[in-house]
Amino acid sequence: MRRLWSIPARFFLEIACVLMCALPLVGAGDDSFLLRGATVHPVSSDDIPNADVLVRNGRIAGIGSHLAAPKGVRIIELKGLHVYPGMIDSATEMGLSEIGAVRETSDVSELGNLNPELRAIIAVNPASEHIPVTRANGITSVVTLPQGAMLAGQGALIHLDGWTWEDMEVEPDASMVLNFPIVESPRLRFFRQNATPYSEAKQNYEQRIRELEEFFESARRYQKARVAKEPGLAQDLKYEAMLPVLDGKVPLLIEATREKLIREAIRFADKEKVRMILGHGEEAWKVKDELKAKNIPVILGPTLELPVEEDDPYDRLFTQPAELVKAGVKIAFGSFNTSSSRNLPYQAAAAVAFGLPYADALKSVTLNPAQIWGVADKLGSIEEGKWADIMITDGDPLETRTEVKQVFIKGKSLELDNKHKQLYRKYLNRP
Amino acid sequence: MNARILVISFLTLATLPGEGPSAFAIRDARVVRVSGPTLEHSTVILRDGLIEAVGENLSVPAGAWVIEGKALTVYPGLTDALSTWGIPEAAPATPGAQGRGGAPPAPGPPATPASPPAAVARGPEDRPSNTSWLRAADLLSLSDKRIEAARSAGFTTAVTFPTHGIFAGQGAVIDLAGDRPGQMVVVSPAGEYVSLTTGRFTSFPGSLMGVIAYIRQIYLDADHYRLTRDMYQNPAGLRRPAYDRALEGVLESPRVLLPATREVEIDRMLRFAQELKHPAVLYGVHEAWRAVDQIKRFNIPVLVSLKWPERAQDANPDDKETLRVLELRAHAPKTPAALSKSGVHFAFYSDNTRPQDIRKAVKRALDAGLPADEAIRAFTLSAAEIYDVADRLGSIDKGKIANLVVTDGPIFEEHTKVKYIFVDGAKYEPIPEEPPAGSGTEKTE
Repeated sequence: MRRLWSIPARFFLEIACVLMCALPLVGAGDDSFLLRGATVHPVSSDDIPNADVLVRNGRIAGIGSHLAAPKGVRIIELKGLHVYPGMIDSATEMGLSEIGAVRETSDVSELGNLNPELRAIIAVNPASEHIPVTRANGITSVVTLPQGAMLAGQGALIHLDGWTWEDMEVEPDASMVLNFPIVESPRLRFFRQNATPYSEAKQNYEQRIRELEEFFESARRYQKARVAKEPGLAQDLKYEAMLPVLDGKVPLLIEATREKLIREAIRFADKEKVRMILGHGEEAWKVKDELKAKNIPVILGPTLELPVEEDDPYDRLFTQPAELVKAGVKIAFGSFNTSSSRNLPYQAAAAVAFGLPYADALKSVTLNPAQIWGVADKLGSIEEGKWADIMITDGDPLETRTEVKQVFIKGKSLELDNKHKQLYRKYLNRP
Repeated sequence: MNARILVISFLTLATLPGEGPSAFAIRDARVVRVSGPTLEHSTVILRDGLIEAVGENLSVPAGAWVIEGKALTVYPGLTDALSTWGIPEAAPATPGAQGRGGAPPAPGPPATPASPPAAVARGPEDRPSNTSWLRAADLLSLSDKRIEAARSAGFTTAVTFPTHGIFAGQGAVIDLAGDRPGQMVVVSPAGEYVSLTTGRFTSFPGSLMGVIAYIRQIYLDADHYRLTRDMYQNPAGLRRPAYDRALEGVLESPRVLLPATREVEIDRMLRFAQELKHPAVLYGVHEAWRAVDQIKRFNIPVLVSLKWPERAQDANPDDKETLRVLELRAHAPKTPAALSKSGVHFAFYSDNTRPQDIRKAVKRALDAGLPADEAIRAFTLSAAEIYDVADRLGSIDKGKIANLVVTDGPIFEEHTKVKYIFVDGAKYEPIPEEPPAGSGTEKTE
């Protein structure tokens, strides 16, 4: 008889236990809470074992041992778990492109060479399936960038949570994107007879550079006319968009891959006196001293890629982050993708295996991008006054086996279920 | 007997270039026979388009034109073993513009005004890119300016092919002179030219594997076609087989020419050739220095392209070239020496190299270790043997066609000049050499 009801009792007990354990993690809407007893990794300073983090109204209000929970603030017990700042992917098409091959779901690029007036922020689809997938891995913000022939438009730094793009915006004008013109190489062409001879390719390149320089010159003249309140000056959105770039308020994210073009890009930014961030930069290691001297940060593309030259060593891109950091260049990682944005921490991890100090790797997906994008006062580390963009893990987030237990954006606990997990469950149950 | 004499004399008359003696004697010259030891202070007598005699102390026939051969060397006329000379439409539009690295030789632009319009093919049954029935012998034109240029460079013979499409058509061994195209032909058909060009994703075959499967199917179909055709010789009770010109051409050809440049391509084509059960010749073979043993084992002759891989003239100076490309470029000229050393049967072909530049190209093979006499053999007797015409061409022997080149020194040496060329026993002198390449040479192409 006893045995008979002990089975349901045990079952009941287990359910209760599961519920109780899970309860603190399934957060209520409240954005004030105390994280207790975790190992806190502020990134901006040394790790603090067995520490508490107090969050009030979505912001970090205190870090320390044995913090007292103010009245009414719930306590989340995190014994054995780790608290990290949410990660930042510095280059994606998040929210702009759902399925690359389906045109209707893609709002990434516009025709024409000079489109600085385009704003990625207003095109962001808050309901994108990529968003929950990405944040389930602890990525809480991304920079989403428009694509285009040359001046592609304005990239935005967004939170991966919100009902509308207004909810999501952190820094709507984080950067102006410039795809630096390239000298088209016949090697890139598929059909040999279509290959442009070098002389022609070079002419095309020079013509585009001229076009770009003239545009900057015109924008500058517009700026002067505007400051002088020239009567009858017609408002031009293209030039308007250039004003903060010319003022140095908004950085110019120049995407370039090869050494020569990176050098040309630096020369261009110098000449135009704009603040430059280098994007991609597969051959940035060849230009590291100049990058350091001019204090130009680099948003590196994926580490786990083949080298650009057939004869480069296989680990050319694996070792580059370490090399740049050693030279004193500030780096951050970008996925330059949407669906693989979730792999951002592993790109940094691969660099660690090839010489990048661990602390720098962690910074390159948290505090460094926050500094590069000018939002270090809001994001990037566990510090008092910053937004509570937090991930709670059972270990090192750069390890693939680590599980992200909970994610907060602005102190709001987020649903971690997503399309990947749904499909996983669906096919797990396939008879 | 009488009739035969009549026919022969008629032929003789027909081949004579009008008036003048039909006999020449080159006296007291160095004669590189190729088929045997070189003769010093010897005489070659040509009559009626044939070599009548060669040897020391021959008496010169009365009435023959005599060329004092002191300080002159007589060679068999050179052969371009895979050419488009004589088919003006196949001349390259911009010489030297195409051809990079390890790509197989690019076929010229449409060689044949007769080729059908490209329709979208669904499979091998539509016989895409197949003009196997086309014969170079029917496409010849004396208006091709390259004929004279080639002759001036010492060439008397070419094996010329249509080169457009996968089964481009059948080549012909031709002599590089004549009053009418028909007179030029020595042997036709000489082989089927096969390339691996794809339908550019609009038509079958659009991939390399598609092309290979297609060629394989064509040869299987051809085999079956021949069987049914032979059976139908006794037609009673048999369904009539459909005529298929695409297969007729394949069956007519005594051999098939397959492209292969890289080692892996050579290996693939050697095996493929074996599978086709058809005599095969590989062409291109720049990386054969790495595959000589394999070629030797399969015992398949090869034609070495003289268009050595080079950096594209208009390449981006910032593009770093890969080791693979650089290696092939550096080692390709070693191929003839390696082939010769291991006894592989090989000949040279111009591959759209301008005739006047061929000597320079050969020089690179010589510098890489190819003995000069082997180079001469490759250009003469070996080429003749590969096309099975060594009974009439390729060496200075009694009874062979009087195709000779007379020089004032060793033929592949830089300062050697071609003095005379004999094609079918008719004497030609080289056109004056034009200024060095690059300074207004467009007119000749």
